[in-house]
Amino acid sequence: VLVSVICSPPQNYPLYIRSVPTENELKFHYTVHTSLDVVDEKISAMGKALVDQRELYLGLLYPTEDYKVYGYVTNSKVKFVMVVDSSNTALRDNEIRSMFRKLHNSYTDIMCNPFYNPGDCIHSRAFDNMVNSMMMQVC
Amino acid sequence: SRELFVLTYGALVAQLCKDYEKDEDVNTCLDRMGYGIGVRLIDDFLARSAAKKCRSYSETADMIAQVAFKMYLGVTPRVSCSSAAGNEFSLILDKNPLVDFVEELPAERASLCYCNLLCGVIRGALEMVHLAAEVTFLQDRLKGDAVTEIGITFLRKAEDRKHKRN
Repeated sequence: VLVSVICSPPQNYPLYIRSVPTENELKFHYTVHTSLDVVDEKISAMGKALVDQRELYLGLLYPTEDYKVYGYVTNSKVKFVMVVDSSNTALRDNEIRSMFRKLHNSYTDIMCNPFYNPGDCIHSRAFDNMVNSMMMQVC
Repeated sequence: SRELFVLTYGALVAQLCKDYEKDEDVNTCLDRMGYGIGVRLIDDFLARSAAKKCRSYSETADMIAQVAFKMYLGVTPRVSCSSAAGNEFSLILDKNPLVDFVEELPAERASLCYCNLLCGVIRGALEMVHLAAEVTFLQDRLKGDAVTEIGITFLRKAEDRKHKRN
Protein backbone atom coordinates (compact mmCIF):
# COMPACT_ATOMS: atom_id res chain seq x y z
CA VAL A 1 0.00 0.00 0.00
CA LEU A 2 1.33 3.36 -0.90
CA VAL A 3 -0.24 6.78 -0.84
CA SER A 4 1.21 10.05 -1.90
CA VAL A 5 -0.20 13.50 -1.35
CA ILE A 6 0.85 16.99 -2.23
CA CYS A 7 -0.35 19.86 -0.09
CA SER A 8 0.17 23.49 -0.76
CA PRO A 9 0.32 26.49 1.52
CA PRO A 10 -1.31 28.34 3.07
CA GLN A 11 -4.45 26.35 3.66
CA ASN A 12 -2.70 22.99 3.21
CA TYR A 13 -5.46 21.37 1.27
CA PRO A 14 -4.37 18.48 -0.90
CA LEU A 15 -3.66 19.25 -4.53
CA TYR A 16 -3.17 15.65 -5.43
CA ILE A 17 -3.77 12.37 -3.68
CA ARG A 18 -3.22 8.95 -5.13
CA SER A 19 -3.25 5.61 -3.43
CA VAL A 20 -2.59 2.07 -4.51
CA PRO A 21 -4.83 0.12 -3.97
CA THR A 22 -7.57 2.66 -4.18
CA GLU A 23 -9.89 1.65 -1.39
CA ASN A 24 -9.73 3.21 2.09
CA GLU A 25 -8.78 6.53 0.63
CA LEU A 26 -10.68 8.39 3.35
CA LYS A 27 -8.56 6.81 6.06
CA PHE A 28 -5.47 8.00 4.28
CA HIS A 29 -6.86 11.51 4.04
CA TYR A 30 -7.11 11.43 7.81
CA THR A 31 -3.62 10.02 8.33
CA VAL A 32 -2.13 12.62 6.03
CA HIS A 33 -4.00 15.42 7.70
CA THR A 34 -2.65 14.50 11.10
CA SER A 35 0.84 14.11 9.73
CA LEU A 36 0.73 17.68 8.44
CA ASP A 37 0.98 18.85 12.03
CA VAL A 38 4.16 16.85 12.46
CA VAL A 39 5.49 18.40 9.27
CA ASP A 40 4.84 21.90 10.54
CA GLU A 41 6.50 21.05 13.81
CA LYS A 42 9.61 19.80 12.07
CA ILE A 43 9.77 22.85 9.81
CA SER A 44 9.63 25.26 12.69
CA ALA A 45 12.21 23.24 14.63
CA MET A 46 14.57 23.30 11.66
CA GLY A 47 14.00 26.97 10.99
CA LYS A 48 16.87 28.26 13.09
CA ALA A 49 19.46 25.73 12.01
CA LEU A 50 21.33 26.15 8.76
CA VAL A 51 20.05 23.82 6.13
CA ASP A 52 22.60 22.80 3.55
CA GLN A 53 20.30 20.79 1.36
CA ARG A 54 17.84 22.99 -0.45
CA GLU A 55 15.02 20.50 -0.39
CA LEU A 56 14.07 19.46 3.08
CA TYR A 57 13.57 15.74 3.25
CA LEU A 58 11.90 15.23 6.59
CA GLY A 59 12.24 11.51 6.83
CA LEU A 60 9.97 9.28 8.85
CA LEU A 61 7.34 11.51 10.40
CA TYR A 62 5.81 8.98 12.70
CA PRO A 63 5.20 5.27 12.59
CA THR A 64 1.80 3.96 13.48
CA GLU A 65 1.15 0.27 13.88
CA ASP A 66 0.09 -0.13 10.27
CA TYR A 67 1.79 2.65 8.41
CA LYS A 68 4.90 4.71 8.13
CA VAL A 69 4.55 8.28 7.02
CA TYR A 70 7.32 10.16 5.26
CA GLY A 71 7.42 13.86 4.57
CA TYR A 72 9.25 16.24 2.26
CA VAL A 73 8.90 19.99 2.02
CA THR A 74 10.22 22.41 -0.56
CA ASN A 75 11.46 25.93 -0.06
CA SER A 76 8.14 27.20 -1.34
CA LYS A 77 6.47 25.34 1.54
CA VAL A 78 4.81 22.75 -0.65
CA LYS A 79 4.52 19.57 1.35
CA PHE A 80 4.74 16.09 -0.06
CA VAL A 81 3.59 13.22 2.14
CA MET A 82 3.92 9.52 1.52
CA VAL A 83 2.22 6.78 3.49
CA VAL A 84 3.71 3.33 3.22
CA ASP A 85 2.60 0.00 4.62
CA SER A 86 4.66 -1.06 7.60
CA SER A 87 4.83 -4.56 6.21
CA ASN A 88 6.80 -3.22 3.26
CA THR A 89 10.21 -3.39 4.89
CA ALA A 90 12.05 -3.55 1.59
CA LEU A 91 11.83 0.20 1.11
CA ARG A 92 15.04 1.90 2.11
CA ASP A 93 15.54 5.52 3.02
CA ASN A 94 17.27 6.54 -0.19
CA GLU A 95 14.55 4.91 -2.26
CA ILE A 96 12.02 7.09 -0.51
CA ARG A 97 14.27 10.09 -1.07
CA SER A 98 14.49 9.40 -4.78
CA MET A 99 10.74 8.97 -4.99
CA PHE A 100 10.26 12.35 -3.37
CA ARG A 101 12.77 13.86 -5.75
CA LYS A 102 10.86 12.45 -8.74
CA LEU A 103 7.64 13.84 -7.31
CA HIS A 104 9.27 17.22 -6.86
CA ASN A 105 10.62 17.26 -10.42
CA SER A 106 7.24 16.38 -11.87
CA TYR A 107 5.65 19.02 -9.69
CA THR A 108 7.98 21.71 -11.04
CA ASP A 109 7.11 20.63 -14.59
CA ILE A 110 3.45 21.12 -13.77
CA MET A 111 4.13 24.54 -12.31
CA CYS A 112 5.78 25.61 -15.57
CA ASN A 113 2.63 24.83 -17.53
CA PRO A 114 1.18 28.27 -18.34
CA PHE A 115 -2.36 26.96 -18.04
CA TYR A 116 -1.87 25.68 -14.50
CA ASN A 117 -2.79 28.12 -11.74
CA PRO A 118 -0.97 27.54 -8.46
CA GLY A 119 -3.48 26.20 -5.98
CA ASP A 120 -5.49 24.25 -8.55
CA CYS A 121 -5.88 20.52 -8.22
CA ILE A 122 -3.43 18.65 -10.37
CA HIS A 123 -5.00 16.92 -13.37
CA SER A 124 -1.99 16.14 -15.50
CA ARG A 125 -1.72 12.87 -17.36
CA ALA A 126 2.07 12.87 -17.32
CA PHE A 127 2.02 13.36 -13.56
CA ASP A 128 -0.47 10.52 -13.10
CA ASN A 129 1.67 8.23 -15.22
CA MET A 130 4.78 9.06 -13.27
CA VAL A 131 3.06 8.47 -9.93
CA ASN A 132 1.49 5.21 -11.14
CA SER A 133 4.76 3.84 -12.43
CA MET A 134 6.50 4.84 -9.22
CA MET A 135 3.89 3.12 -7.10
CA MET A 136 3.87 0.00 -9.22
CA GLN A 137 7.59 -0.29 -8.72
CA VAL A 138 7.12 -0.33 -4.99
CA CYS A 139 4.09 -2.56 -4.61
CA SER B 1 17.50 32.04 -20.78
CA ARG B 2 15.52 29.59 -22.87
CA GLU B 3 13.23 28.79 -19.91
CA LEU B 4 12.51 32.45 -19.36
CA PHE B 5 11.53 32.86 -23.00
CA VAL B 6 9.31 29.78 -22.99
CA LEU B 7 7.68 30.75 -19.70
CA THR B 8 7.12 34.31 -20.96
CA TYR B 9 5.44 33.00 -24.08
CA GLY B 10 3.30 30.71 -21.97
CA ALA B 11 2.28 33.56 -19.69
CA LEU B 12 1.39 35.62 -22.75
CA VAL B 13 -0.86 32.92 -24.15
CA ALA B 14 -2.46 32.26 -20.76
CA GLN B 15 -3.19 35.96 -20.30
CA LEU B 16 -4.71 36.20 -23.79
CA CYS B 17 -6.90 33.25 -22.94
CA LYS B 18 -8.14 35.11 -19.91
CA ASP B 19 -8.75 38.28 -21.92
CA TYR B 20 -10.59 36.70 -24.83
CA GLU B 21 -13.33 34.13 -24.58
CA LYS B 22 -13.13 32.69 -28.05
CA ASP B 23 -10.17 30.69 -29.33
CA GLU B 24 -10.30 32.40 -32.72
CA ASP B 25 -9.81 35.79 -31.07
CA VAL B 26 -6.76 34.54 -29.22
CA ASN B 27 -5.40 33.02 -32.43
CA THR B 28 -5.93 36.27 -34.32
CA CYS B 29 -4.30 38.28 -31.59
CA LEU B 30 -1.27 35.99 -31.53
CA ASP B 31 -1.01 36.20 -35.30
CA ARG B 32 -1.13 40.00 -35.22
CA MET B 33 1.53 40.16 -32.53
CA GLY B 34 3.67 37.77 -34.53
CA TYR B 35 3.26 39.93 -37.59
CA GLY B 36 4.52 42.95 -35.67
CA ILE B 37 7.52 40.94 -34.53
CA GLY B 38 8.17 39.55 -38.01
CA VAL B 39 8.34 42.89 -39.82
CA ARG B 40 11.02 43.98 -37.36
CA LEU B 41 12.82 40.69 -37.01
CA ILE B 42 13.53 40.34 -40.71
CA ASP B 43 16.12 43.11 -40.69
CA ASP B 44 17.89 41.58 -37.74
CA PHE B 45 17.82 38.23 -39.49
CA LEU B 46 19.16 39.57 -42.78
CA ALA B 47 21.90 41.50 -41.01
CA ARG B 48 23.02 38.57 -38.88
CA SER B 49 22.79 35.86 -41.46
CA ALA B 50 24.04 37.89 -44.45
CA ALA B 51 21.75 35.78 -46.55
CA LYS B 52 21.84 36.12 -50.27
CA LYS B 53 18.70 36.85 -52.23
CA CYS B 54 16.64 33.73 -52.66
CA ARG B 55 15.87 32.88 -56.24
CA SER B 56 12.92 30.64 -55.69
CA TYR B 57 10.20 29.86 -53.20
CA SER B 58 11.84 26.62 -52.22
CA GLU B 59 15.08 28.43 -51.46
CA THR B 60 13.09 30.85 -49.31
CA ALA B 61 11.43 28.03 -47.43
CA ASP B 62 14.77 26.34 -46.88
CA MET B 63 16.24 29.60 -45.62
CA ILE B 64 13.41 30.01 -43.11
CA ALA B 65 13.73 26.47 -41.85
CA GLN B 66 17.46 25.99 -41.78
CA VAL B 67 18.72 29.43 -40.92
CA ALA B 68 15.98 31.45 -39.27
CA PHE B 69 14.46 28.75 -37.09
CA LYS B 70 17.91 27.58 -36.10
CA MET B 71 18.98 31.10 -35.21
CA TYR B 72 15.98 32.06 -33.13
CA LEU B 73 14.54 28.85 -31.78
CA GLY B 74 17.41 26.43 -32.02
CA VAL B 75 15.49 23.82 -34.00
CA THR B 76 15.57 22.96 -37.68
CA PRO B 77 12.27 21.88 -39.17
CA ARG B 78 12.13 19.69 -42.24
CA VAL B 79 10.88 21.32 -45.39
CA SER B 80 8.59 19.59 -47.81
CA CYS B 81 6.94 20.98 -50.90
CA SER B 82 3.29 20.12 -50.99
CA SER B 83 2.06 21.44 -54.29
CA ALA B 84 2.94 20.88 -57.91
CA ALA B 85 2.97 24.60 -58.58
CA GLY B 86 5.86 24.96 -56.15
CA ASN B 87 4.31 27.63 -53.99
CA GLU B 88 3.11 25.60 -51.02
CA PHE B 89 5.55 24.35 -48.45
CA SER B 90 5.39 22.66 -45.10
CA LEU B 91 7.75 23.05 -42.20
CA ILE B 92 7.59 19.97 -40.05
CA LEU B 93 8.73 20.43 -36.48
CA ASP B 94 9.55 17.33 -34.50
CA LYS B 95 10.43 19.34 -31.47
CA ASN B 96 8.88 22.67 -30.64
CA PRO B 97 10.65 24.45 -27.77
CA LEU B 98 7.75 26.81 -27.17
CA VAL B 99 5.55 24.00 -25.92
CA ASP B 100 8.14 22.37 -23.68
CA PHE B 101 6.14 22.86 -20.53
CA VAL B 102 2.65 22.68 -21.95
CA GLU B 103 1.41 19.15 -21.75
CA GLU B 104 -1.86 19.57 -23.49
CA LEU B 105 -4.37 22.28 -24.21
CA PRO B 106 -7.01 22.83 -21.55
CA ALA B 107 -10.33 21.27 -22.39
CA GLU B 108 -12.11 24.55 -23.03
CA ARG B 109 -9.41 25.73 -25.45
CA ALA B 110 -9.47 22.90 -27.91
CA SER B 111 -8.99 24.99 -31.02
CA LEU B 112 -6.30 27.28 -29.69
CA CYS B 113 -3.25 27.49 -31.92
CA TYR B 114 -0.70 27.84 -29.17
CA CYS B 115 2.19 28.83 -31.43
CA ASN B 116 0.24 31.06 -33.76
CA LEU B 117 2.76 33.79 -33.01
CA LEU B 118 5.22 31.88 -35.21
CA CYS B 119 2.83 32.04 -38.15
CA GLY B 120 2.54 35.78 -37.78
CA VAL B 121 6.30 36.19 -37.53
CA ILE B 122 6.88 34.27 -40.75
CA ARG B 123 4.13 36.16 -42.52
CA GLY B 124 5.42 39.57 -41.42
CA ALA B 125 9.01 38.76 -42.28
CA LEU B 126 8.11 37.50 -45.74
CA GLU B 127 6.02 40.57 -46.39
CA MET B 128 8.97 42.84 -45.71
CA VAL B 129 10.92 41.10 -48.46
CA HIS B 130 7.96 41.56 -50.76
CA LEU B 131 6.67 38.02 -50.64
CA ALA B 132 3.03 37.73 -49.72
CA ALA B 133 2.23 34.47 -48.02
CA GLU B 134 -0.36 32.74 -45.97
CA VAL B 135 1.00 30.86 -43.00
CA THR B 136 -1.08 28.54 -40.87
CA PHE B 137 -0.77 25.49 -38.70
CA LEU B 138 -1.65 22.31 -40.55
CA GLN B 139 -0.94 19.91 -37.72
CA ASP B 140 -0.36 20.57 -34.06
CA ARG B 141 1.10 18.17 -31.55
CA LEU B 142 -0.83 19.84 -28.77
CA LYS B 143 -4.04 18.88 -30.52
CA GLY B 144 -3.09 15.25 -30.80
CA ASP B 145 -1.34 15.12 -34.16
CA ALA B 146 1.95 13.32 -34.50
CA VAL B 147 4.01 16.36 -35.45
CA THR B 148 3.66 20.10 -35.67
CA GLU B 149 3.37 21.29 -39.24
CA ILE B 150 3.36 24.90 -40.44
CA GLY B 151 2.11 25.46 -43.97
CA ILE B 152 3.39 28.40 -46.03
CA THR B 153 1.55 29.29 -49.21
CA PHE B 154 3.19 31.95 -51.33
CA LEU B 155 0.44 34.04 -52.84
CA ARG B 156 1.85 35.97 -55.73
CA LYS B 157 5.08 36.17 -57.55
CA ALA B 158 7.87 38.19 -55.94
CA GLU B 159 7.80 41.72 -57.31
CA ASP B 160 10.30 42.39 -59.99
CA ARG B 161 12.70 45.08 -58.80
CA LYS B 162 13.16 46.51 -62.26
CA HIS B 163 9.43 46.87 -62.48
CA LYS B 164 9.32 48.88 -59.29
CA ARG B 165 11.79 51.45 -60.51
CA ASN B 166 9.57 52.49 -63.38
